[in-house]
Amino acid sequence: MSGVRAVRISIESACEKQVQEVGLDGTETYLQPLSMSQNLARLAQRIDFSQGSGSDDDDAPADGDAHDWAGTGAGPGAEQDEDEGLVKFQPSLWPWDSVRNNLRNSLTEMCVLYDVLSIVRDKKFMTLDPVSQDALPPKQTLQLISKKKSLAGAAQILLKGAERLTKSVTENQENKLQRDFNSELLRLRQHWKLRKVGDKILGDLSYRSAGSLFPHHGTFEVIKNTDVDLDKKIPEDYCPLDVQIPSDLEGSAYIKVSIQKQSPDIGDLGTVNLFKRPLLKSKPGSPHWQTKLEAAQNVLLCKEIFAQLSREAVQIKSQIPHIVVKNQILSQPFPNLQLSISLCHSSNDKKSQKSTTEKQSPEDHLYVLEHNLHLLIREFHKQTLSSIMMPHPASLPFGHKRMRLSGPQAFDKNEISSIQSTEGLLEKIIKQAKHIFLRSRAAATIDSLASRIEDPQIQAHWSNISDVYESSVKVLITSQGYEQICKSIQLQLNIGVEQIRVVHRDGRVVTLSHQEQELQDFLLSQMSQHQVHAVQQLAKVMGWQVLSFSNHVGLGPIESIGNASAITVASPSGDYAISVRNGPESGSKIMVQFPRNQCKDLPKSDVLQDSKWNHLRGPFKEVEWNKMEGRNFVYKMELLMSALSPCLL
Amino acid sequence: MEAPPVTMMPVTGGTINMMEYLLQGSVLDRSLESLIHRLRGLCDNMEPETFLDHEMVFLLKGQQASPFVLRARRSMDRGGVPWHLRYLGQPEMGDKNRHALVRNCVDIATSENLTDFLMEMGFRMDHEFVAKGHLFRKGIMKIMVYKIFRILVPGNTENTEPLSLSYLVELSVVAPAGQDMVSDDMRNFAEQLKPLVHLEKIDPKRLM
Repeated sequence: MSGVRAVRISIESACEKQVQEVGLDGTETYLQPLSMSQNLARLAQRIDFSQGSGSDDDDAPADGDAHDWAGTGAGPGAEQDEDEGLVKFQPSLWPWDSVRNNLRNSLTEMCVLYDVLSIVRDKKFMTLDPVSQDALPPKQTLQLISKKKSLAGAAQILLKGAERLTKSVTENQENKLQRDFNSELLRLRQHWKLRKVGDKILGDLSYRSAGSLFPHHGTFEVIKNTDVDLDKKIPEDYCPLDVQIPSDLEGSAYIKVSIQKQSPDIGDLGTVNLFKRPLLKSKPGSPHWQTKLEAAQNVLLCKEIFAQLSREAVQIKSQIPHIVVKNQILSQPFPNLQLSISLCHSSNDKKSQKSTTEKQSPEDHLYVLEHNLHLLIREFHKQTLSSIMMPHPASLPFGHKRMRLSGPQAFDKNEISSIQSTEGLLEKIIKQAKHIFLRSRAAATIDSLASRIEDPQIQAHWSNISDVYESSVKVLITSQGYEQICKSIQLQLNIGVEQIRVVHRDGRVVTLSHQEQELQDFLLSQMSQHQVHAVQQLAKVMGWQVLSFSNHVGLGPIESIGNASAITVASPSGDYAISVRNGPESGSKIMVQFPRNQCKDLPKSDVLQDSKWNHLRGPFKEVEWNKMEGRNFVYKMELLMSALSPCLL
Repeated sequence: MEAPPVTMMPVTGGTINMMEYLLQGSVLDRSLESLIHRLRGLCDNMEPETFLDHEMVFLLKGQQASPFVLRARRSMDRGGVPWHLRYLGQPEMGDKNRHALVRNCVDIATSENLTDFLMEMGFRMDHEFVAKGHLFRKGIMKIMVYKIFRILVPGNTENTEPLSLSYLVELSVVAPAGQDMVSDDMRNFAEQLKPLVHLEKIDPKRLM
């Protein structure tokens, strides 16, 4: 391009006429091109008068260029088309109207500016003051507001999170509680029968499944223990599961059995109160459900025992009717003896606590019987269960097996009635009480005799193993120092319910009644017989001869207890004879017969002239037994015998 | 000697006229286990017992059209138990209010020479079978679940074959006449056994 002069190139649009539309046959209809004036008007309308004054200088030449361009492009026909453009583009007054309006507005503004400036220049009414830059303070508040807003947003998020956390924590805790309740319920189920009725969980305290026929429903309710505050510390013994026990089974109960010698005043009947030991101080808080339920079940069992006993006491006809007063059953097993069975139930309220402070009667519990009552009722339960036997063959109706056998085996009336009659609880316990009483009375009798009488000695060997209705004791009567040779009296006492059977060593059986006097008399007579037996044994050892022996002497004074027994023994040489008579009451009487030649005061007989008759024994002389030396009867006898048979020495 | 009076009237022996209330159903062998399990849960708390019985049905033909039927049953697995002679009356379906079949029944325990005695009286044996199964009890209700075995050689109870592939389930109560309340209890119990077994009052006349 260097060296070559710039060539002016005019550029026109290739298509002068704008295609308006193309017809279906391909003919094009063109738009009439704008005339010069039209083009100018169009361009003038594009002018933005509202633009800032600063940019005016830049725009003006551009506009000028545009004018030029339009002018070069449009050619000379601009003035001509002015009327057409008026019609075409400006529905208003004339094409320059807007330009004029804008110019006029500008003029007005200029005038106003001029006026303002001139007034300002006077500084009379108006001054120009620098405007303080107040943009920042509003911006700060805005910042503050926005900061506050964002902080609030953050806080809200945090709060939401916290809320969710606390929610989950409480839920967790609740779940834990729930889980504990469920595990407790599971434990409960392992020990107790539970069933669901409606929305409640009910349990069964009764012994019905074990065969009890007691009509008490014995239902307890399982409740969820919710009265604990989750926020506070949960107490150590807190259990989410609690049980609600029927009010009549609350507290503790036991059966008291006692035997009294004399009947108490009728006024005392039924008001016995019964709590000997002070009540255990209840621990703070409620006890565990297991202890609660066990206590309630015990109350139920005691009530059942007592109900059963009372029913039997009313039904059973005995010589002395049983008395049932309030919570006490009285019965007279033996004359002047009273068996009392009482139900003691304390419901832990103040009333019963007060009564415990009352003075209690001395210890007269028969713990064995109380225990046995529990055993008996269980046996009774078992009986009701086991009496339900499955029938064989299977078509038979339910019933007692022995009853079914009664027909084919032709039972008689006694056998059938023996099947039907069952001994009641009360009868059994009265029998046991009788036995216990009889046994203790026998023991007391033997002991008192043993301590009262030193010669001969009584030894009692009680057997360790005994039945509830029978126990036995072996009674040995011996003399001290002569146990080996004097073993004649060995008695076996079988103590039953109503009577005592005594079996001698030789098989003789004596039956004694429950009266203690009988046993005492019997033992006394046996002891007196023992002495005579001992003399007999001693004679054998000493070489003396037994001339006569009788357990029951028909002569002499009559003993009030039993009979006296007697023995006569002669010395080995035959010179002397000792005669012993021993009675339980009269005591012992010992006579010695001397040879005839030793009796000085014997009148000379006309018949017995010969000296050989001197060897005949003369009259008896009584020995002053009390003055004899020796610690007991047999020892004294031994000394006497030794003295009378000097040849042996 | 006169022939023993044969009567179709209800036998009113003893003091009380006893009736048997009966519901019957059956289960297939393979569902026996689940039924036994269910019964153990529902029935009284005792070990379920099994039984093995031999039953003989005797007929006495009198002047009447229908013969007089007696059932003699003995236990094959227990010694020392008496035989059982049973008279069962005509079953009554009753109306809707009674939920069980009711029939008169007389139960007598007898000695072992019962068959000879019956034969001497003129009875003849109609049929015999062996029943083997389980026995349950709930209160006064007796539940028998058993299978009936056919005796192949008459008199030989060792040689048997099962009659079907299912077990018979019977729920029965023996109660004095007129105590229709027991049938309500039976219905309730039968409801609890559904759907393992459907116990219904089945009219034997319709099956014939």
